Amino acid sequence: MLRTLKKIVHGQDEHLEIRYHKRFSTVIQFKNGILKKGERKTLAGVGIRALVDGCWGFVSTSDTDEDSLRKAAEEAVKAAREAANLKKEKIKGLGEGDAGQGKFYLYQKDEQEPEFGEKVVSLQKADGKIRDAGEDIIGSMVNYHVFQDTKVIVTSSGAEAEIFDQKSEIGIVAFGAQDGKQEMAVVSHGVTGGWKDLFAREALDKMTERVVEIVRTKLKAGYARGGDYTVILDPRLVGVLAHEAIGHTVEADFVLSGSVVADKIGEKVASDLITLIDDGTEKGVGKVIVDDEGTVSRPTVIIENGVLKNYLHSRETAHMFATEPRGNARAYTYRDEPLIRMTNTFIKPGKDKLEDMIKGIDDGFLLVGMDQGGQADATGEFMFGVQEGYRIKNGEIKEPVKGINISGQAFEVLKSADALSSEFKLDLGAGYCGKMQPAKADAGGPYLRCRVKIGGQKGEEEQDE
Amino acid sequence: MSNRDIYLEALEFGKKTGADHVEVFFNKSKTLEVVIEKNDLQVPKGDKYQGIGVRIFKNGKIGFASTNLLTTESIQETVRSALDLAENSPADPDQGLPEPMPLKEVEGIFDPRGESVVLADLINKGNEFMEQTRGTDSRVTIDTASFKAEIIERAIVNTRGIQAEEKKTKFESVAMGFARDGEDVSSFDLEYLVTPEWEKLKTGEIGERLRKKVVGNLGAETIPGFKGSVILSPFAAVMLLFSPIVFGVNADNVQNGISPWREKMGQKVSSEFLSIEDDGSLPGEIGSKMFDREGISPQRLEVISNGKLNAWLHNYYTASKAGEKPTGHASGGDQSLPGIGPNNFIIKPGQESLDEIINSIDRGLIVTRYSGGSDPVSGDFSGVVKGGYLIEKGKDLKPVKEVMIAGNVYKLLHQLLALSNETQRVMNFNSPYVAIEGVSVTGK
Repeated sequence: MLRTLKKIVHGQDEHLEIRYHKRFSTVIQFKNGILKKGERKTLAGVGIRALVDGCWGFVSTSDTDEDSLRKAAEEAVKAAREAANLKKEKIKGLGEGDAGQGKFYLYQKDEQEPEFGEKVVSLQKADGKIRDAGEDIIGSMVNYHVFQDTKVIVTSSGAEAEIFDQKSEIGIVAFGAQDGKQEMAVVSHGVTGGWKDLFAREALDKMTERVVEIVRTKLKAGYARGGDYTVILDPRLVGVLAHEAIGHTVEADFVLSGSVVADKIGEKVASDLITLIDDGTEKGVGKVIVDDEGTVSRPTVIIENGVLKNYLHSRETAHMFATEPRGNARAYTYRDEPLIRMTNTFIKPGKDKLEDMIKGIDDGFLLVGMDQGGQADATGEFMFGVQEGYRIKNGEIKEPVKGINISGQAFEVLKSADALSSEFKLDLGAGYCGKMQPAKADAGGPYLRCRVKIGGQKGEEEQDE
Repeated sequence: MSNRDIYLEALEFGKKTGADHVEVFFNKSKTLEVVIEKNDLQVPKGDKYQGIGVRIFKNGKIGFASTNLLTTESIQETVRSALDLAENSPADPDQGLPEPMPLKEVEGIFDPRGESVVLADLINKGNEFMEQTRGTDSRVTIDTASFKAEIIERAIVNTRGIQAEEKKTKFESVAMGFARDGEDVSSFDLEYLVTPEWEKLKTGEIGERLRKKVVGNLGAETIPGFKGSVILSPFAAVMLLFSPIVFGVNADNVQNGISPWREKMGQKVSSEFLSIEDDGSLPGEIGSKMFDREGISPQRLEVISNGKLNAWLHNYYTASKAGEKPTGHASGGDQSLPGIGPNNFIIKPGQESLDEIINSIDRGLIVTRYSGGSDPVSGDFSGVVKGGYLIEKGKDLKPVKEVMIAGNVYKLLHQLLALSNETQRVMNFNSPYVAIEGVSVTGK
């Protein structure tokens, strides 16, 4: 394939990027003891992007013989040329990063995956174990997904990369009921790697025990009263904040359409304690190494000791901002064009101990994990649901509370940060980041103490009654 | 290889592997798309795709595999893979494949003009749209507008004797924008169109409608909250009211115990004058088809008649489990197992015009677009009103901003006030304007 792609790129005068991408995925889903999905899918093809007269054209096809690809390349060039007649803001150049050359493995390729049948047996057992936990557990669900990617990327700028990647994820759900009330809880993980890596994060047995425990806690918990509080966010919530509420605002395409941090490079945007990094070379599920424009990944310091340092770029925006691309142009399948995406986004750990951080709170909450729902926009305003909440009174952890959501302006929240734990995790779970197309991204950080607004429809309803 | 050669090769190979039954779903598409963002043309795109999805049944067990690499080697590998999955899965007695039934071709879902559409045609459509929006009134900003042309070929074959093939065209436009006049910024609004006919993709008219909407929303003011009547546009009604109904009548959700209507069959679920039918055989409609994902002819179903819940949407699996006949609502393509979805979900229009409904309302709100969540399990929703207009004494439409509405969908369905006689197509829904009373409107 590499030879064919090179022939086509070198046979064209215009700037071309050709990307062959074959994805082999397996999906297993159990719901209440029934196998709802056992699927194995192959999706393969070539995406070709041409830059002509300052305009892109993109063509994708599942016909991958040389003749079809040559034709597709011509179509991409033609599309770009036609569009250039109408486009106002022309692309004046592309930023130069390190063009990836050679073979790149993102996971241990020698590691053997268990057979499909073995996985089915383990997952079925886990699904059953949730419902066997007791009469208060009325439903269960297990979702497992793994994909192996093989990519070959050749560009007119000299990239000639073969990339081998594997990402695995699991989410298990328990539905509980007691005294006419229903609650659900989710435990999930995602990794770059296979079955063994996935459950090295947390054993399946442990996950099922934990999901039941969480749903039972929620069934017993009362609601919190809304208001502004000092809270401790766990690494997953810190990750959600870093990714959703901060990370998107520093993606250069959002910056160009006027995000809250446009023109703020060099300004103080967070507490001195905050250093925020995006790094595709880290071990998380957002690991990239070489991106879909053929650029080798390097870490980007977004915020350093509270000062905004860099945005995240594609080659196109890197040129506009006179900087270098660092591996953030990503496409989900061969049918998608590369867009500016995060990889592993995290706040660097501090020096505090979690117990000491708790001791420093008179009246607040320890918040753990993300619940359904949540949103953030280009202004940095956010609202996230929280799965587990625990009251902190006079420096001690007290009763659990449920139905909590947190909101605020992300940069204001980061300005209020006054303690960060030395304990650190990249732990966004099994989710996808959505921006016209999905992407696997990871995020995390330490436990972080800050001020947020606590609210919740449920909480308000109860107060009304 | 022809389409037929491909899916028959997979079927024949499946039979040879010793499977009890085999199903092959074939999908082929050609898509062209032009996108405008931030008032400028973005990357034009073309995509060609073909793939198969294979379901294998053995000893009451099922396996599924799909591929878009259609060489003989890859097709055989995919079939073997589906068999392997079947052999290693627990049995489910309700799994099976349907028998052949008479299928009727649907008129007006394929436009031969689609074959000759090229990217330059769509770029022209984009140009016409821009002329009618920003070209006519510079206060208009286009956030995103996408114009898409698709030719879809689908085929199904199984070892019970089903074999059918069909070709469709789909032309779609989604346009979002707002108006800005100095410091005054209107709320985001949206114009949507989907049609199987190329000539009906009139992007100039779409642009004109969007321009009028967003400019009309300039000068919006905040209002205090109230409890009163709300008129949902067809677009807002589909997002807020009818999507949860589709969730509620999905037989899989009923059998999984998550449909709030699981015990409501034959009972009153809404005000009396609401009637909804689903009909996949209507000529010229975007959701029409000769056969569903499993090869069954879509039935005309009265989902809700005069406020009473009348039917579930079934695929073969849920129908077998319930001891009923499949209704032709198996959804999905070649890359996944069949799900359940509506074909053309038609809300029966009312007697009055939109103007008459507005005139009958003393104090109320028109909601052009709703942005927010609605939880289909509980029915609870709360979200922001976009393109909102305050009605006072039956007229005086004033644009409003920073208004939210909240409540419960399944309760609101009992508080319907009127349905307009004019309707609009929104995706594969056809909906009138829907007036509801007693809605909590939060202002400032």
